[in-house]
Amino acid sequence: MPNEPRKRYVSTIVEVEGRDERKVVETPAFDVPPWSEQERLGIVGARAPRVDAPTKVAGRATYTSDVSLPGMLHAVIVRAPLGPGRVERLDVAAARAVPGVVDVITADDLTRPTKFSGIPLFDPAILYAGQPVAAVCAESREAAAAGAAALAPLVPSSTPVLDPIVKAASDEADVVERGDVERGLKEADVLVRREYRTPSQLHSALEPHGAVAHYDGDRLTIWESTQGVFRVRDEVARAMAMPRSAVRVLMDHMGGGFGAKNHAGPHTVAAALFAQRTGKPVRCVLDREGEQIDTGHRPATVQQVTLGARKDGRLTVIIADTWVALGAGGWEGGPAQIFHQMYSCANVRTTERFAYTHSQPMQAFRGPGHTEGAFALERAMDTLAKELGIDPLEMRLRNFAARDELKDRDFSSNNLRRCYEEAAERFGWATRESRRDARTSPTARGGFGMAAQVWPAGGGPPAHATLTVQSDGTAEVLSGTQDLGTGARTILGQIAAESLGARLSDVRVVLGDTERTPYAGNSWGSMTTASVGPAVRMAAVDARGKLLEAAAELLECHPDDLDARDSKISTRDGARTLTFAEVAKRIGNVMISGHGTRGPNEQGLGLMSFGAQFAEVEVDSETGHVRVLRIVAAHDVGRVINPTLAESQLEGGILQGLGFGLFEERILDSASGLPLNSTMHDYKVPTIADTPQIEAWCVATVDARANHIGARGLAEPPVIPTAPAIANAVADALGVDITEIPLTPWRVLAAQQRPPAER
Amino acid sequence: MKLTVNGRERELDVEPGTSLLNVLRDRLHLSGAKAGCERGECGACTVLLDGQNVYSCVTLARACEGRSVTTIEGVANGAELHPVQRAFIAHDAVQCGFCTPGQVLAAIALLERDPAPTRESIVHAMSGNLCRCGTYPKIIKAIESVANDA
Repeated sequence: MPNEPRKRYVSTIVEVEGRDERKVVETPAFDVPPWSEQERLGIVGARAPRVDAPTKVAGRATYTSDVSLPGMLHAVIVRAPLGPGRVERLDVAAARAVPGVVDVITADDLTRPTKFSGIPLFDPAILYAGQPVAAVCAESREAAAAGAAALAPLVPSSTPVLDPIVKAASDEADVVERGDVERGLKEADVLVRREYRTPSQLHSALEPHGAVAHYDGDRLTIWESTQGVFRVRDEVARAMAMPRSAVRVLMDHMGGGFGAKNHAGPHTVAAALFAQRTGKPVRCVLDREGEQIDTGHRPATVQQVTLGARKDGRLTVIIADTWVALGAGGWEGGPAQIFHQMYSCANVRTTERFAYTHSQPMQAFRGPGHTEGAFALERAMDTLAKELGIDPLEMRLRNFAARDELKDRDFSSNNLRRCYEEAAERFGWATRESRRDARTSPTARGGFGMAAQVWPAGGGPPAHATLTVQSDGTAEVLSGTQDLGTGARTILGQIAAESLGARLSDVRVVLGDTERTPYAGNSWGSMTTASVGPAVRMAAVDARGKLLEAAAELLECHPDDLDARDSKISTRDGARTLTFAEVAKRIGNVMISGHGTRGPNEQGLGLMSFGAQFAEVEVDSETGHVRVLRIVAAHDVGRVINPTLAESQLEGGILQGLGFGLFEERILDSASGLPLNSTMHDYKVPTIADTPQIEAWCVATVDARANHIGARGLAEPPVIPTAPAIANAVADALGVDITEIPLTPWRVLAAQQRPPAER
Repeated sequence: MKLTVNGRERELDVEPGTSLLNVLRDRLHLSGAKAGCERGECGACTVLLDGQNVYSCVTLARACEGRSVTTIEGVANGAELHPVQRAFIAHDAVQCGFCTPGQVLAAIALLERDPAPTRESIVHAMSGNLCRCGTYPKIIKAIESVANDA
């Protein structure tokens, strides 16, 4: 009996950063058997050097701001000096009169009304200081800046509302409840109630947002520093009223995104419009101030948390009432989900209130929601453990969630216990008291803390890739995903080389080109490896089959008798061998190519990455200065494609989490709403001097149910538990409660001075 | 004005207020030095001026009259990368790469001054170069490996 023909398109649910999205996606044309745990892989799993590192260390990698075209003009965005209010004057004539200024655009010049984060572009109605009101294009950046100054937008403003609790009072609440929290409260032997606060954190990628646009009278080409070339293409096409197929978006290298570069922005539309209006290429790259005040932030939160447990430490209730200060726009990413999925508890209620405040719109920032929620949840867990006299690690083990209780489903795989065990062992958690008093000064206090993490990281469709064996025997992989510095280019090359049987050096990976590379989605939600990886593997398996068939014809044998390895095809007895180059040469200039599609995930399964981190700190009890001495981190992300690059990702996440815990905090003047620390000097990101000893690794495992490469995502997980682990260690060092980050010296001193009852 | 860039003497007309960074990027098309903040706070624009690492964004080009500038494009010996560049590759001290040219140059200047730096002096010398991706642990390892090989 012939098999039922495979349905080509199916409807499926894909989870992106905790949100379920229903999509109709293409099913793979054939099944690729999963790499098992026992599979002997040589290139996948190897510590291969990052493939684009040589280009980057030589300064030859081209970023958007390095794209320079003949006759190129320069554009700048003009911003409201104050808000909220209304633009009463914009001196376009004065700006046009500035020598070198070529063109000015305001809301009246838009092709069609365009919104970013829900705010109409160049709208005279101003919601926050820094909101774009116009753009100026000139022969030089200096002339454009002079033109911008001449525009001198006048915005009489009123007092901004910045406090999320004040603002959200009238807004609707998003409530998720399971079990019976009233019963949970009654069943508790001990209850802990606290209010926690987290700051607004700025992405602060070193490369600001930017675009270069070239319009040839018919087609528009955009170079953009972006996490999603296709999304930018769609948004620009819409703003310009052009068909998507007439817009090409390119991204080769980019200087970091962290969630802030998921969309086109005012700079993109400005560059595109000016290019169309002037007929010349236009570059519009934000300056640092623009980057810090108008490209997004991790929204500040207030979280009122109640945890209850029996004497044995088992949780009976979790209640979290939260307020999120989104700014003037953005999506509703709140801290609730981790309260439902981190620990086992029958009675849970979370409430999220999203407040639209008079500051820049939020954008997702690495581990959005979970990072903020983890601080409150993990501080409360430690406080509860202390009340009960239970060790913090033991407290977490007793409440281990074997299933996803929020969505009532199994996890594809969960090695969080191993993360706890391996990290605790390496850290010396059980013997930590023996190290407490070995301090560098009489006022220094040692402390130890830990925290855990869960994050949806299974990836999913749609994602496509092709692999072509070139006429010289090398292979080219095409996929429309992006490498933000994560190492995607390298690990996709490793997956392709392994699956094709090629040397890694014979594989070239081309990404980020809406015209040339097949569709893949944004590089967000820790999705790239688990989404694009299987598509690349399938493309390589498809091409390998064709290559073996061609070789079999040349060698006069059956393809099943052949094997490919190190860019060579050999008969299984090893008697006869052809290199890929020889096969390609002998069959001539024809194309051997494979196509790969990412199929749907198994439905009803939680695809999560887990991790546990341990922190050792030294706190000066007189100055309030916190030094993080050591972070030990073990994460479960399924199969690791490249341990070195995985460790780099973990270290990077940990350092951003350290910044969140210790000093990163966007400050707005409460009277005027003006950002007060919009420079890299005043907004403190970690420096090399803040770097603790970091020991970070992924536990050795394969998630065979997640997808056929066995990998889940790991970009966001490491940022989530770092700040709470550090805060728990500071609380431990001083014997005080910590309810607010970042732990700047004054907050540490204030925590020490609070009367004992409030500690 | 006259300026030696990567060993080659250049003669340029430069407006008084122009930064060295703008001359390198816009006039000489050496785009390895990056504009991250343009106010001397992030280090992405780092170049060597007579062997010393400086922020080229806050260095006036005219103040470099007759002096020698080395950019990232000038540190390799032909096709052979500088030992610091090789160490950055070997230790994966590179993520997005935007700060990397500045980090490499700051590390070269450090090792010229002090071929066997302690961890403390590495941290001190490198703390003017920010990396948002968090390559710091790997940068320390890379610099230590070059010092140990010397």
